[in-house]
Amino acid sequence: MSTAMAFPDFFQFHLPVRIVFGKGLSKDFSAELSSLGVSRAFLVTEKFLHTLKIPDRIRQALESAGVGIAGVFDEVVPNSEVGLCERGAEAARKAGADCIVAIGGGSSIDTAKAINLLLSEGGKLLDYQGAQTLTRPLKPLVAVPTTSGTGSEATMVAVINDPDSQSKISLVDRYLTPALAVLDPELTLTLPRRITAATGMDALTHAVEAYVDIESSPFSDALAAQAMRLVARYLSKAVIDGGDVEVRSALQIASTMAGVAFNHSMVGVIHGMAHALGGMCHVVHGEANAMMLPLGMEYNLEVRERKFAEIARFLGLDIRGKSDRDAGLEGIAFVRQLNQELHDLAGLPTRLSDVGVSRDRLPEVAALAMTDGSMFYNPRDVAEEDVLAMLERAH
Amino acid sequence: MTFFQDEKHLYKCLGGLFEKVRRDAMIGPKLATAALVIRFLYEEPEGQITIDLKTPPGDGTFFSTFYGKNDLEADVVMSMKADVGHRFWFGKVNLVAALTRRQIVAKGPIPKILKLLPAIQPTYAMYPEILKELGEDKILLA
Ligand SMILES: [Fe+2]
Repeated sequence: MSTAMAFPDFFQFHLPVRIVFGKGLSKDFSAELSSLGVSRAFLVTEKFLHTLKIPDRIRQALESAGVGIAGVFDEVVPNSEVGLCERGAEAARKAGADCIVAIGGGSSIDTAKAINLLLSEGGKLLDYQGAQTLTRPLKPLVAVPTTSGTGSEATMVAVINDPDSQSKISLVDRYLTPALAVLDPELTLTLPRRITAATGMDALTHAVEAYVDIESSPFSDALAAQAMRLVARYLSKAVIDGGDVEVRSALQIASTMAGVAFNHSMVGVIHGMAHALGGMCHVVHGEANAMMLPLGMEYNLEVRERKFAEIARFLGLDIRGKSDRDAGLEGIAFVRQLNQELHDLAGLPTRLSDVGVSRDRLPEVAALAMTDGSMFYNPRDVAEEDVLAMLERAH
Repeated sequence: MTFFQDEKHLYKCLGGLFEKVRRDAMIGPKLATAALVIRFLYEEPEGQITIDLKTPPGDGTFFSTFYGKNDLEADVVMSMKADVGHRFWFGKVNLVAALTRRQIVAKGPIPKILKLLPAIQPTYAMYPEILKELGEDKILLA
C-alpha cells in the first residue's frame, strides 16, 4: 500500500461568509455593514440575552452605522420550531426588513436562516427541505454569536423542529450561509461556566467528527486540527476564568473554525446520537456531545487509526514511538479526562442518568438516532445495536 | 454527449432497470422500507420517472413505477440531466459530491435518500447487464 496520503476523489472548499474578529467589535462593525448596503435590520434573538444587554449593544452599533431597526424578534428557544420561524418571517416582512441580524447561540442563528429564507422567497419551510434547492441569494444575514460552540455563523445548514411530523427539517443551502459573521469574544465573557463547558465540547465534537468522517478534505482537516488544538488548550481555562478575553478569543475562533470544517465534511455518529437525545429527552446539545464523544471516538478508531493518532497530537499529547492505535486511545483518554475536569469545575454532567434520561427510553433514542442524516457521513457503518450499546455505556 | 436520444429511449433504459429492481426479492423489499414516493426529473432529454415505495402494489412486485407526468405527490424530487442519471446507475456518480455541485438537486428529506444508498449498491452491476440485453451496448460506460 502506498504511504502517501489518500486524497478524496473530489472536494470543494467554498466560504461565502465574511468572518471578522475583534475584541469589542460588536460595538462598531459599521465598515462591514456599509459594504452590505442594507438599511433596515430585523433582529432575531433570545429573551434571556436582554439581561446581558447584548441585543441593545448590537442595536446601537447598527443605528450608529446608519442602519435602522425594522423590528426585534426575541422569541427564539433552544430547539427552534417551524411555526416560530414562520411567525418571525411574517413580522420581518411586515416591518419591511432588508436584512436579518442573528444574535445568540445556534438556535438563534438557525432560526434567523429560516426566517431569512421565508422573508426572501416566501412559501412554507417544508418546501425548502433538501440540498441546494435555492437558485439565488437571499437577503444579507449577519450572525453575531454569543456562545463559542455552534459554528452556525459559518455554515449553510439550519436544523428546525417540525412538531407536526415529529421530526427535524434540515435545510442545506449555500445561500443560507450568513454574509457576515461578527466574532466578538467580549460577548462571551459572562457566559456561565456550564454553558462555556458544553458549547466548548460541541465545538470539539464538530472538529473531531469533521476530521474523521467520509467527506473530510485537506482544507476542512486544517481547520478542524487548529480548532482541536485551541479547545484542548483553552477550554478549562475559560471555565476557570471566564473574564479572560484572550482565552475567550481562542474559543470563539476555534468554534468558528470547527464550524467551517464541518460545513464541508459534516458530522457523524456522535451528533446523530446527540440530536436524538436532544429531540427525545431534551438533553442539552453540547452536553450530549460531551458524553458521547469518547464513545463515538472509540467506535470509529478501528477505521481511522492514523487520523485518531493525529487527533491525539492536536490535543497536545506526545505520541512519539507509539502505534497509531495506542496514540488514538490516548487521545480518547484525554477527552474523558477533559470531561471529568469540566464536571469538577462546571458541573458538566458525565452520565445520561444525571440529566434525567431514563434507561428504558434508550432503545427509542437509538432508533431515532439511526434516522439522523449525520450517520451517513460517519466513517464506520453504524449499526443500531452499537448505538444502543454506546448509549447504555453513557447512562 | 447525451446518452439518450429522446424521452422514450430514456424510459426504455432506466425503466429497464427499475422494472427489474421492483421484482428483485433482494433489493425490492429493502427499498420499500423507505416508504417514500421519489420522482426523478430529467433534462436533456426531458422526462420523469416516479417510484412509489409507499403503496404496496399487491401484484407480487415490491413497488410501482410510473413513466411520464403523473399526479402522485412526491416526498422527494431529484432533478438532474439524464446523462447524470445514466452515470448514476453505473455507480459512477458520488451522490454527496453531486448534491454539493448541484449536478443533482434534491428536494425533501435527504437523510432518507442517503439511507437507501447501501441498498441500491447491487443495481450498479445490474444496469450494464440490462442495457446489453436491450441491445444498448452503445451507451455502456467503460
Ligand atoms: Fe453540534
